[in-house]
Amino acid sequence: MTQYLITFRSLTHAQRSSRVLERAGITTAVIKAPQGLSSSGCAYAITLRREPEMALTLLKQNGLAIGKLFQRGADGRYTEWKV
Amino acid sequence: MIYLDNAATSLPKPLAVERAVLEAMRSMASVGRGSHAPAMRAAETVLDCREAAAELFHVPDPERVVFTMNATHALNIAIRSLVHPGDRVVVSGFEHNAVTRPLHALGAEISVAGRSLFDRKTVLREFASALSGARAAVCTQVSNVFGFALPIKEIAELCKQYRVPLIVDASQAAGMLPVDLAGWGAAFVAMPGHKGLFGPQGTGLLLCGQEGEPLLYGGSGSNSRMQTMPPDLPDRLEAGTHNVCGIAGLLAGIHFVQEKGIDAILRHERDCLSFFVQELEGSGLELFTGADQTGVLSLRCPTMDGETLAQRLAERGVCVRSGLHCAPLAHESAGTLETGTVRFSFSPFVDEKQLREAARILRDLSA
Repeated sequence: MTQYLITFRSLTHAQRSSRVLERAGITTAVIKAPQGLSSSGCAYAITLRREPEMALTLLKQNGLAIGKLFQRGADGRYTEWKV
Repeated sequence: MIYLDNAATSLPKPLAVERAVLEAMRSMASVGRGSHAPAMRAAETVLDCREAAAELFHVPDPERVVFTMNATHALNIAIRSLVHPGDRVVVSGFEHNAVTRPLHALGAEISVAGRSLFDRKTVLREFASALSGARAAVCTQVSNVFGFALPIKEIAELCKQYRVPLIVDASQAAGMLPVDLAGWGAAFVAMPGHKGLFGPQGTGLLLCGQEGEPLLYGGSGSNSRMQTMPPDLPDRLEAGTHNVCGIAGLLAGIHFVQEKGIDAILRHERDCLSFFVQELEGSGLELFTGADQTGVLSLRCPTMDGETLAQRLAERGVCVRSGLHCAPLAHESAGTLETGTVRFSFSPFVDEKQLREAARILRDLSA
């Protein structure tokens, strides 16, 4: 199944974003971002299964800044999804 | 025991606070150091506390609620973020050493405005005269010695007018008077968790109206390759492991305040003050009372020094604080620097029966 991952500047941003999306009915999980997805070292991310565009719109509407959006391929590799 | 030292630390705490601390100790790990269940439980509790504080104190984003060890820690961050050696800073005449010592250590030029106890008009007039050209203003919302509620909303308006960043010390106000970071347009508001918010000792909050400079440097669980602190709040100002058990207790304390309502808490404390003052009428004690007073009463005894009186009260089970209360400036303003005062401070857990008994013992000792 396709998985999307959004990185954030801090755990607090990731948590708040997760809460916004959960309230809108989009299931998410907060995780530590896999190594290599953040150039500055340890970072947090949220994962979601569907509706990445709607998720980004909701986060923007709530004033929550994201890092990057990635799509996880069948081989487990992440590809940046340009918005 | 009759505990009337709530301006130092509130006691007892609501039962929910004790339970929350214990639960955190049993089940929570470090925030931002992992994504396993105990770490995420801690992270959720910490975010819940940021959100609850943001709602109560009108902070636009929960990220702007920073956890500190106490109000002193928060004030040090705020002051060091704004003030540099030689800068002129306006303070009220009722500031705590948590404000004046950092300013002295920085070599700031301190202008004291508003030294008239229970006289808000004079305080405002003196602030208006002193603010022009100042680098910052620092003002307590309520005097920890006398319970004098300074006109903070109006002082904030003056600071906006003169474009002077304002730091508010809400140590004696949080949980009892409105604290409004956004409405005041304050640069920072500092407060402890262990007084009117009923959290455990070792907790504090810094509400950030603007970016702050770190006081401590270290791990934040984020941006680990960088050798500077992360640019974003709250990580920028929160180096090291959080006091998760304390924050869990603080969250329960904030919920207690929200459920009771700050208006009801203030009303009760003022009722306690009026009742206690009435009970002491004709006692010969010198009581410091006036308009705009919260649930804090300072007094002097003509027949005994304050430290001795407090000791004798303690021996009879009445817990109060004596001396200068870490606020020599406030005592200088009120003319009590040489003697200090004995301070009685109330809480929602204090009732008339306790106050009547404390007044009886006080009369007996001071006769």
